[in-house]
Amino acid sequence: MFGLIGHLTSLEHAQAAARDMGYPEYADEGLDFWCSAPPLMLDQEITVKSLTGQVIKGRYVESCFLPEMLATRRIKAATRKIINAMAHAQKHGIDITALGGFSSIIFENFNLKQIERIRNIRLEFQRFTTGNTHTAYIICRQVEQASAKLGIDLSKATIAVCGATGDIGSAVCRWMNAHTDVQDLLLIARDRERLNALQTELGRGRILGLDEALPQADIVVWVASMPKGVEIDAESLKKPCLLIDGGYPKNLDTKVQAPGVYVLKGGIVEHSLDIDWPLMQLVNMDAPGRQLFACFAESMLLEFEKWHTNFSWGRNQITVEKMEKSGAFRSSMASNRS
Amino acid sequence: MPQLEAPQKTDFQSETYKDAYSRINAIVIEGEQEAYDNYLALAELLPDNKDELIKLSRMENKHKKGFEACGRNLEVAPDMKFAAEYFAELHGNFQTAAAEGDIATCLVIQSLIIECFAIAAYNIYIPVADPFARKITEGVVKDEYMHLNFGEEWLKANFEQYKEGVEKANAANLPIIWKMLNQVEDDAAILEMEKEALVEDFMIAYGEALANIGFSTRDIMRMSSHGLRA
Repeated sequence: MFGLIGHLTSLEHAQAAARDMGYPEYADEGLDFWCSAPPLMLDQEITVKSLTGQVIKGRYVESCFLPEMLATRRIKAATRKIINAMAHAQKHGIDITALGGFSSIIFENFNLKQIERIRNIRLEFQRFTTGNTHTAYIICRQVEQASAKLGIDLSKATIAVCGATGDIGSAVCRWMNAHTDVQDLLLIARDRERLNALQTELGRGRILGLDEALPQADIVVWVASMPKGVEIDAESLKKPCLLIDGGYPKNLDTKVQAPGVYVLKGGIVEHSLDIDWPLMQLVNMDAPGRQLFACFAESMLLEFEKWHTNFSWGRNQITVEKMEKSGAFRSSMASNRS
Repeated sequence: MPQLEAPQKTDFQSETYKDAYSRINAIVIEGEQEAYDNYLALAELLPDNKDELIKLSRMENKHKKGFEACGRNLEVAPDMKFAAEYFAELHGNFQTAAAEGDIATCLVIQSLIIECFAIAAYNIYIPVADPFARKITEGVVKDEYMHLNFGEEWLKANFEQYKEGVEKANAANLPIIWKMLNQVEDDAAILEMEKEALVEDFMIAYGEALANIGFSTRDIMRMSSHGLRA
């Protein structure tokens, strides 16, 4: 059994979802209500069938976390949502659960691994995966495939990675460095020390500020996550420019609109799996039947492989080898369309 | 990304703390007393389970004594008059149900609402308690998790027959517990117990109990919404 811990994108989204799902009592409740709401496991099982006919089952746990909790500094509430959702998944015997959206970011950022016990449950972290390895892999493949389509030659291209020192960002840098002949890597992040360490590890890459880096980039990989999103001046970007929106929330396509700028939602898997899960539209996919967050896909892949282990865990542990393995899992399911 | 603030040190001897503690401690003592009385009443209603219920009542009595010691340790006299009034509505509903032989309501009030309220409060209290009370409360929580929840198991075994009764009892009594939670918000805050964490923990325990009995997540969400009507 695989599990997915997810959350809705905003208070407004949560209220609309409550109404759509037939809970009008909750539809008018404000942030306070969500701060004290318990995790919910949706009744309906998710059934996934691969092209080879293998069937796995999963459950979705709604953590009731909302990004507004971070924006308004309700940090304790935010951390409770994630830990309680994890305890809930474990209590239901789920073997491998992906921490979707902000869940893994909150887990890492607030060092929640120090919370080993919650109520009468000792959290077994090997039952959870951030899903970041597969997300990073998918983003890299998106860069390779979309750049080829747009006629951007990687050997002459500059890639700016915004959020370069994060778990996914650093993995993208490693892959681009080892797997492609990209001409130049621009490393953007807030923490100078971590940037220096990444530059040393890669043996290349230029450390630049966001405003300085963006106009030089043929490809921008955006993997920074911020509760409120970010403003980018489309005019300052090169034309053509490929922008992979792999952060959270994924709303750059509405914010950056200019001729010659191509925005792709990053870390979203196009798949051919047969997923029986009518609630997928809840998480705002453009094509709910054919798309899936890569972090969720990772828990499904691990379940298909019966590899019940925290494949992605800890910060900056994602190696190129692990990403290759993640890609190989996909191929073995014969479902790779992306 | 914002950061967590460092926790402040609590002065367990301050007048403000002791004043709030006199009510919270009394509520806990009264809650254990109610549990003791309620299990004895249930033993009369369910003679087949009499021995088990009497054993449970003794355990609750032991817990009560532990919490009385916590008050003495801080030299706080629990405000028992306040606590009796605090529980009056729930107490009255239990008495009426017991007199009518309404087992579903009795079990919802004692085994679901009071038990879940207690375990949530203890879980939230433990990290912020004084060292003496922490040890006592940890022992109580261990006891609570050790014994299979009698009411949950009984209602599970008789789910189809009592489903409707549980729903009705929930609708009538969940708003009361909500009011009770609101009523102690300020005192609990002085003890560093956050209301939203308390509500969340209660809803987790309550939801798990309802799920164990046989309700679906959809049922639980619908039933939980009655709390909002308080």
